[in-house]
Amino acid sequence: MPLIDPVTMASTDQASVKSQSVELLPTDLARIFTNVHPVLLLSAYYLRFPALIADPITTLLQSLPILVVLQIAYATLCLPPTGSGTSSKPSKKSKLGVKKADTSPSKAITVFFALILSVFSVPVLAGLQVLFGAPITTHIPQTLLSSSHLALLGVFPLAYVHGSDGSKWREILSVYSPIDEVFGGSLGCFLGAWLGAVPIPLDWDREWQKWPITIVTGAYAGYAVGKLAGTWLLKGKRIEFD
Amino acid sequence: MVPTPVPKPAPGNYNSIAAQYARAKAAKDADDKKKVDGILRENGILERTGKPRHVAERLNEFKAGRFTKDWGWVVGFFVWMLFIHISGIYFFTKGFLLTRLVLDSKSTCAEPPISISKPFKGAGTPEGGCWHPKTFDKAVVIIIDALRYDFTVPFNNISQVGASNPMPAQAYHNSIPFLYDTAIAEPHNAFLLPFIADPPTTTLQRLKGLTTGTLPTFIDAGSNFAGEAIKEDNLLQQLRDAGRKIVHLGDDTWTALFPGYFEEGISKAYDSLNVWDLHTVDTGVTEHILPLLASQRKDEWDVMFAHFLGVDHAGHRYGPNHPAMTMKLQQMNGLMQEIVQNLDDNTLLVVMGDHGMDGKGDHGGESDDEVQAALWMYSKKGIFGRTDPSFVTPPQNAKIRPVNQIDLVPTLALSLGLPIPFNNLGRPIEEAFVGKKGNAWDNLAGVSRMAAAGIKRYQAAYYDAQGINESTIDGSPHDLWGKAEGALISGNGKEQMLRGVYTNFSAFQEETLRICRDLWARFDVPSMILGISILAAGVVALVFHANDNAEADTTEEDIDLEMKERDLELKAISDGKPELLYEENASRSAVKGAIIGTAVGVAAVLVPWGLVGGGSMMDFAVGGGSIGGLVAVLFTKLKTRLRFSNPLPRTVWGWLAAIFTISQSIGFASNSYTIWEDSILLFFITTFGLAAAISSIRIEKHSDRVLAIYHSAAFVALGWIASSSKLCREEQMPWCRSTYYASANSSTSAPWQLLILFIVAAALPSIIKSYYVSSRNYEGFAPVWISWAFRTGLILCAIFWTIDAADDSEWFTGFSSATLKTLRTPIAQTIFAVSIGAGSLAFGSAPPCVSISSSAAPTPGSQITSSSGATVTILGFANTHGSRYFLLVVNVLLAILMVQKPMGAGAIALMSWQILSLLEILDLNTLTSSPIGPVVLALLGSFHFFKTGHQATLSSIQWESAFIPLHTIRYPWSPLLVALNSFGAQILAVSAVPLVALWKQKPRKKGILQSVAAALAWHALYYAVVGLATTMWAGHLRRHLMLYRIFCPKFMTAAAVLVIVDVVGLLVALMGVRWNTISIGEVFGWR
Repeated sequence: MPLIDPVTMASTDQASVKSQSVELLPTDLARIFTNVHPVLLLSAYYLRFPALIADPITTLLQSLPILVVLQIAYATLCLPPTGSGTSSKPSKKSKLGVKKADTSPSKAITVFFALILSVFSVPVLAGLQVLFGAPITTHIPQTLLSSSHLALLGVFPLAYVHGSDGSKWREILSVYSPIDEVFGGSLGCFLGAWLGAVPIPLDWDREWQKWPITIVTGAYAGYAVGKLAGTWLLKGKRIEFD
Repeated sequence: MVPTPVPKPAPGNYNSIAAQYARAKAAKDADDKKKVDGILRENGILERTGKPRHVAERLNEFKAGRFTKDWGWVVGFFVWMLFIHISGIYFFTKGFLLTRLVLDSKSTCAEPPISISKPFKGAGTPEGGCWHPKTFDKAVVIIIDALRYDFTVPFNNISQVGASNPMPAQAYHNSIPFLYDTAIAEPHNAFLLPFIADPPTTTLQRLKGLTTGTLPTFIDAGSNFAGEAIKEDNLLQQLRDAGRKIVHLGDDTWTALFPGYFEEGISKAYDSLNVWDLHTVDTGVTEHILPLLASQRKDEWDVMFAHFLGVDHAGHRYGPNHPAMTMKLQQMNGLMQEIVQNLDDNTLLVVMGDHGMDGKGDHGGESDDEVQAALWMYSKKGIFGRTDPSFVTPPQNAKIRPVNQIDLVPTLALSLGLPIPFNNLGRPIEEAFVGKKGNAWDNLAGVSRMAAAGIKRYQAAYYDAQGINESTIDGSPHDLWGKAEGALISGNGKEQMLRGVYTNFSAFQEETLRICRDLWARFDVPSMILGISILAAGVVALVFHANDNAEADTTEEDIDLEMKERDLELKAISDGKPELLYEENASRSAVKGAIIGTAVGVAAVLVPWGLVGGGSMMDFAVGGGSIGGLVAVLFTKLKTRLRFSNPLPRTVWGWLAAIFTISQSIGFASNSYTIWEDSILLFFITTFGLAAAISSIRIEKHSDRVLAIYHSAAFVALGWIASSSKLCREEQMPWCRSTYYASANSSTSAPWQLLILFIVAAALPSIIKSYYVSSRNYEGFAPVWISWAFRTGLILCAIFWTIDAADDSEWFTGFSSATLKTLRTPIAQTIFAVSIGAGSLAFGSAPPCVSISSSAAPTPGSQITSSSGATVTILGFANTHGSRYFLLVVNVLLAILMVQKPMGAGAIALMSWQILSLLEILDLNTLTSSPIGPVVLALLGSFHFFKTGHQATLSSIQWESAFIPLHTIRYPWSPLLVALNSFGAQILAVSAVPLVALWKQKPRKKGILQSVAAALAWHALYYAVVGLATTMWAGHLRRHLMLYRIFCPKFMTAAAVLVIVDVVGLLVALMGVRWNTISIGEVFGWR
């Protein structure tokens, strides 16, 4: 492991040490589906919205399989699975035609792994929501379901792309990863969910103010915005705190 | 440095202990000094330049003097800021808090406002009845303070079965059934009605309303602690003018309002504010009232006012749902029965509550529970009637057929044959005038016409006095008057017609009352705008000032540069030109600008004041001074600012601080965000904790990273645990469950909550100790202070509250309440004496929490230096400033913990732990010069304000905290104690603000005063922005339905917090920094 301080290593050769943003699979299908994917997500969400207001628990539960399918499709069609060489350490060679290393795990295994990681992140996300002020004695199914949606949107693609790379995950958790459509989508998803809390206290007495509708809505909208921004606007940028 | 001479032992006393000690101490001092010098010299901080020593000494002295002067400028700036804040709040309040013109006119017996429609014998004389035939010769008016309407109506579960949420009977239900039962059994002798108070529902304002018949205005609300005589026309004045003898018993607010009105000798006033005492007043009144009712003493009085306080005090102390309340109500029930038995036929008996109480037994606001009191009138004459037979049953709840409290004034006045007081806006209560059969419409029409005419006359006089043409007022009730009068003239006395007349006059009264409510909500908008502008300009000045001080402190430490600087300094001193060493600093230029500007401003406005010749000179001077000072300071700041960048945040942290402050301030424009402020603060605090954790993961050094993540997690977790302490305001229901007290209808703590205090006593000192130990600062006074004095104080505090709970719940039947009070008061006094008195003295003289030793083994976390071959260790060197200053915070903490209820003490303890974690987070993430630290401290202060059982409402003030160390109200201590209880969290937060700059700072750190000034300015900025925003919103939403329920209390809370934070920042934070820096400077030399 190179012992270089990532904060102060401006003088060293950045490209060789710093992680790079994720590139899409170099196929037309990937380029098309990555644009279709947020449209599908948002329109599915829009269609289910009346049902979500009427019965959040059932709707969130029923839409989970759809979300799983959409996310798996997006990941397998568009994203390089972990270990395929395009995610963390890109080299000229891989771009020059060496298709896929035989040593990398199959897409199915990666999908399975990413799903497992997403499931494990659900209680963590639910715990975070409680720390932010979500009810702890009531509304437990709602909180768990909203966490599941957050996990599938925000954690699953990252897990698919980055696998169990510890240093990469440290970068992701410290929000220092270079922005790309995967990381941007995740960031947008969580920021959106955070902003989704804003309308809850208002005394408008609207059904859609019910827990956790605004959070999930914010997450979906934020995911789409973040993904777009990660693809076009902010690609490769890093968030500096100071 | 001059070597310390070793004192020679006193002759002839060679082996005395004192001499030995002196020698040993001198030797040790010299030794210590040498060690320190050695270390400092090795570090290159002390002179090696070969300059004569006395120059260095002089430089040191000069620097000590320079610190004191600079400190003076910093203080000067914050004093000026305090003045600006007070001035802004003053001008806004002057225009915002409603004022009403008090008219001196009096009603007279011989001059009714309109000719009497149906002449009667003796009209126009007090004997026969001034404006209406006198019905009663005598009256007994009994006020059962805080008698809520639902206390008096029967409650049974069977009738509630249909309700979705059946509630069991509470302690306050069915305990005073006499009033209701009599109203049903003897409808001609008695009636019971809901009696709606006009807010503010404090006793003083209520008594004004109940005797003058007019609406109180908000400006009165603050004067509950010290009443003032009523100058307006009122019932008591009319009684006195008519030669009636008035007796008063009970609450001494009456004697403050009506000095000299009452018969001496037989009247008896009792202290009204000792809310811990449930019985003295009631027993006293009972003792005196019954003998006076006896027939042989009938001549001694005509009208009697008896004011019982037990129910109110039981509410304040325990909340309504407590056995003490049941007992109190039952006692009142029995007493009323007894009074009725002793009543003669010509005496009218009125029993009423002056206001209700909320779920915790407090009052002051305008929630339903606070305004819904009960009114019961009784006489043996049998003249009461109902306009509808079904009205015999008193209303099931206070929403049905309520009467206004001011309606009592014309009712009493006409019944006793007196003129209605000039300012009255109420209307006669129909039950008292409609006659036994419920068909005396002519009488009812007559009295309502008389009252309406009085109102009309008053209105005309009021408009006249204000110079307003009445007809220009929108929706003038003139039409209604014309209609009513017309109906009377054209009619021929038929019941139907008279009924119509009565309805029309009542409509006129209602409409006029509505208009008056609006009219007295007439705001002085220019004054409000002036106040807002001053506050806004103050915010801008504070932003600039904070930035200036923060920028001054960003210079990197460079040992070579420091050496060169040091040489120059020494040269300047030896050349005798110390003036070269003065550096221009932000505070000095700002204060100079403020002084000049204020002087010019005051001078400039005095000219127009002289020309206009009106208005208060004080107002003009304060306004001119504020504007002049602000203009000058902003000018100074902008001039220097050209050299620097713009004041907008430049980092994620700066933006986060700005977003927290600004988004919350915008939110206060919405009643929802104001109501849910506590949840929003938790959201922000968790957000900061999460951001801190994210930032901490970026830390490269493994041990630091782990620590920083741990502290971030602890910070969030502690805040979340504290959030479980809740005291819900009415508007939060039903989505909130109060946990602060034993139950939602109680204001006493549950027994298990006492456990919190003992846990705090056991754990908190150890937690603080762990933060000292980690930086090797558990040295000097720290062990005695934290683990001994502080812990003892906490144990005593726990004992105090245990005795208090024992008193509340009567655990020890062997001890009387008085004994328990005598037992616990000295405990509280001791804690205050230790924390404030002895603690401050000790803080002034405490050495730094470091230990200087020559231990050979190198110890991590300490400063190790070799001096001439010897290894010297200063334990705790790295946190010299912070660890010593925190001792002051411990003192403040103890004083605050003492005045909090057990749940609140738990919250404050968690808060102090959060502060320590925050300081570590800031240090590990190098955020000590960022605004985020002071702003998060302000968030913590605001958050824990709610967690210590408060809300931005008047009724959540825990008045009883005034009695914790005292037996009676004593100025100025009682208000100070209530402030310490209410704003304890904010006071603790601002006391800890200097730590943002001081924590983990070694001695002789450069620019420490600027860092403190910046931190304090950022901190004050949060409150100033919130204060400005709530002021603006209250002004903007002045016609909003929720103004008095939500926006006005929030504005008042924010304004009070702003001033308190400014004052504590000066008195505790800056004074503490002065002592701290001087003490450290004396040991380690000045920088």
